[in-house]
Amino acid sequence: MPDLATLFEQNAAAAAAEVVRCERTPLAVRTAVERAAEGARTIVLCDPEFLPVPLFAGLRGLAGVISKPDEEQLATAEVGVTEAFAGVASTGSVCVTLGHPLIGATSLLMPLHIALLPADRIVERPRQLFDPDRFNGHGLKRNLVFITGPSATADMGPLVHGVHGPHRLHILLLE
Amino acid sequence: MPDSNLNLAPVEAPREIANKSERANLLRAIRMALDIEMPAVRRNTQTFNSNRYRATALLPDYDALKDEARRIKEKAIAELPDLVQNIKTSVRLRGGNVFVANTAKDACRYIVDICRWRGAKLVVKGKSITSEEIHLNPALEAEGIEVAESDLAEFILQVAGEQPSHIIAPAIHYSRERITALFKRKFRTKLPLDTGEALTKFARERLRGKFLYADVGITGANLLAADTGTLMLVESEGNIRMASFLPPIHIAISGVEKIIPTRREMAPFFELLSASGTGQSLSSYTSFLSPPLDDPPFALPGKARKAREFHLVLIDNGRLKMRDDAVLREALYCIRCSACLNSCANFQTVGGHAFGGETYSGGIGGAWEAGTGKLENARFSELCTGCSRCVNQCPVRIDIPWLNENLAERLNGAAAPSPLGSVLSSASGAANDDRSAPASKIFFGNYHYFAKWGSRYSDMSNRIVASSRGRLAMERWLGVDRRRTLRPFPKETLVHAARRLDANPAKSPTAKAILYADVFTNYGLVNRGLATLKVLRALGADILVSECVPEGRAALSQGMIATAKNHAQRAAAELEPHVAGGRDVVVIEPSSLAMFRCDFGHLLDSRVKFQILSASTYDPVEYVVKLLARSGQEAREVFDVARSAGGQKLFFHAHCQQKTIGCASPTESLLRQIGFDVATSNVECCGMAGSFGYKKDFYELSMAVGADLFAQVAEADKDGGKRTLVASGTSCTEQLQAGLKRPVLHPIELLAKILKI
Repeated sequence: MPDLATLFEQNAAAAAAEVVRCERTPLAVRTAVERAAEGARTIVLCDPEFLPVPLFAGLRGLAGVISKPDEEQLATAEVGVTEAFAGVASTGSVCVTLGHPLIGATSLLMPLHIALLPADRIVERPRQLFDPDRFNGHGLKRNLVFITGPSATADMGPLVHGVHGPHRLHILLLE
Repeated sequence: MPDSNLNLAPVEAPREIANKSERANLLRAIRMALDIEMPAVRRNTQTFNSNRYRATALLPDYDALKDEARRIKEKAIAELPDLVQNIKTSVRLRGGNVFVANTAKDACRYIVDICRWRGAKLVVKGKSITSEEIHLNPALEAEGIEVAESDLAEFILQVAGEQPSHIIAPAIHYSRERITALFKRKFRTKLPLDTGEALTKFARERLRGKFLYADVGITGANLLAADTGTLMLVESEGNIRMASFLPPIHIAISGVEKIIPTRREMAPFFELLSASGTGQSLSSYTSFLSPPLDDPPFALPGKARKAREFHLVLIDNGRLKMRDDAVLREALYCIRCSACLNSCANFQTVGGHAFGGETYSGGIGGAWEAGTGKLENARFSELCTGCSRCVNQCPVRIDIPWLNENLAERLNGAAAPSPLGSVLSSASGAANDDRSAPASKIFFGNYHYFAKWGSRYSDMSNRIVASSRGRLAMERWLGVDRRRTLRPFPKETLVHAARRLDANPAKSPTAKAILYADVFTNYGLVNRGLATLKVLRALGADILVSECVPEGRAALSQGMIATAKNHAQRAAAELEPHVAGGRDVVVIEPSSLAMFRCDFGHLLDSRVKFQILSASTYDPVEYVVKLLARSGQEAREVFDVARSAGGQKLFFHAHCQQKTIGCASPTESLLRQIGFDVATSNVECCGMAGSFGYKKDFYELSMAVGADLFAQVAEADKDGGKRTLVASGTSCTEQLQAGLKRPVLHPIELLAKILKI
């Protein structure tokens, strides 16, 4: 039986998400985000609520980062970077809590969503996030969304990735 | 009886035939669907179907999840009035509003009023079948409010002006090519739009601005939690997230039956829903929101920043009445996953524009149309053949065929009795409650009676059946299609033929059994019965043959439930003394076996009797496997594959109900153990489905369903020539012979031919 991170990686890839393992240092995070967002002119960062803020510090200096985006910039930006509250191994989903400033827009409106997921916050099955003893019971209390791969549709005939939501979901698995 | 297939326009718009309270519309819709929609419907539903089998197989606790989901829903519906009060409190405490609408009209009026009072000009909508039920779009548009459907399937339907054909993929009947043609025509664009990507981009670009500038976002809800006011919203496109997050006002509409007690109890549902619906581990987005959301709504420059506002519109529209109806109450457990649509062979062939009403479609759709509208709107549920393939697929364990049999009973009861129907029902002993069923149903439902007399005077009846005038009369008066080959009645029934055979051999038998002489074996495929006796006696069993009494399958399939109950009691009375005396019951016809195993639970008065009888029944090959295991013999010691006259390559088509009750795989594996090279079909049903394919109104549909099976046989034949066809069901046998003009053996007949001992 592979460990949860490996299972997560396999299942996220099966759901058409990109997963890259990344050291949990500001420099490594910066390099990984830079690589994933290559060519993007506008990036919106959403400050973390659960991860340490310094981990994001290196990102502010990246080219294209908009420091205090207004709504028009949010509507047209190319990349959104958020943390993920938790991950689910069996489905390859990242779970994003809402309510924090910018997180709704940055996880939804931009064509590329980069999510930073700490490997130690991966649970085996989705329902474990509904366990009041896990993660301070936030899974039961907060507004949240399980994100499994990029937005997709089969309504136009073949399966198409990239509909209203992000066209790419890029997960940095922080070890 | 007038020929209803004549004098019809060749192509009709789905809207015109959406209401099937008149039977003519059902027949026209079937024809429209077969002519136009079948290729896309088939491809898309079959993709969902195979994905579902894969996804549910990956859930290690699939059955436990289903049990848990069922338990939660049963409790929720029992406590529904309290839950409505609880969710009102929870949502209001968070600053939201709740409106409980008794009728569709009330719901529309409330939503329209909110939009008018807030000066809304543009509403963006996520997919909500409930909003189709209440006809929300026309109500908003009548007030000059623009409605932008943002789910791409709903967008297609809005452009085309059609109603949904599937409960989760409403435009499943559209192929990519037809969408291209539609968009080019309606949007007058010169863009090629010749790929899924191009069409998606085209729609996205049109809709992005709508999201950003919408005054109101309207969504449905997959489930609601009473304790926290949480909505569970499942989607793959991201449009529901946008509609609930970007505009300042969010209105969620939902039937009251979607409320469950607690948010924590949503846990078993969201894996089940995605796996059972689209066949994904989870859909792209599963949101749990307790609105109004905390973060401020989106306000582009030029738009005033407003405070968030949330309205939950709970819709009764007949649901509380359904709750008081023992049959329709079951439909309230439905979580709208669509597994029963995708696993249905008829649905896979015609989709929801034929197998559906104005809003709801498929096996579960009839109960919903009847519950939220009127009984007659459920007429399309006649396309449920009772094949039962959906039963094991339902995540909340609804016995969908039983719902549809009850709807058929009510529709029969609502009709005026016909003179011919009255004569036939008096003669054949139909129960009083069933006497207003149409003559055709009385005939098929009491087939045992007509078969008994037909075989008693077989010379005469076979002459009639072989004559074109006889067939014309049968078609005209009984609805039996002339194009179907009818098997002549045998000179001797199974019961009679068995009396002439040697008595049971063993003094100390390996097993004691009774072969239930089902109507189709006794008056039709007698050889199957004789082969069963031969094989089981060779294995040392002491086996008798029962009297031929109907078990009620035929009556049940016509919605003649009172008659079916009578038949079931008779069959149980015939078999019970033998079972009490220690005999197992062997049942050749799988649809009869499924009666004993499942349907008798509804039909017998005593639960205990049902359980005892059910546990004593066996498919013949299943029984062979049991006897082999008991004696410790290997299959190859008893059966010699080299004796098979048709060679060692087989094509085995399992009967739909046989698969549901788990009797197909023992046959398949025994045949392999003996040394056969076995190819199998993976169609859900052959399309004949008992009497369904014999009916004149459904012949074309039945053959279109069968075409899938015939193609699979042809494909398997490519590998080394024609395979011997093996099928366990009587009607599958007739369908395979009709489609392929080749003989078909029951597995037990094949085994009888290759016995070593």
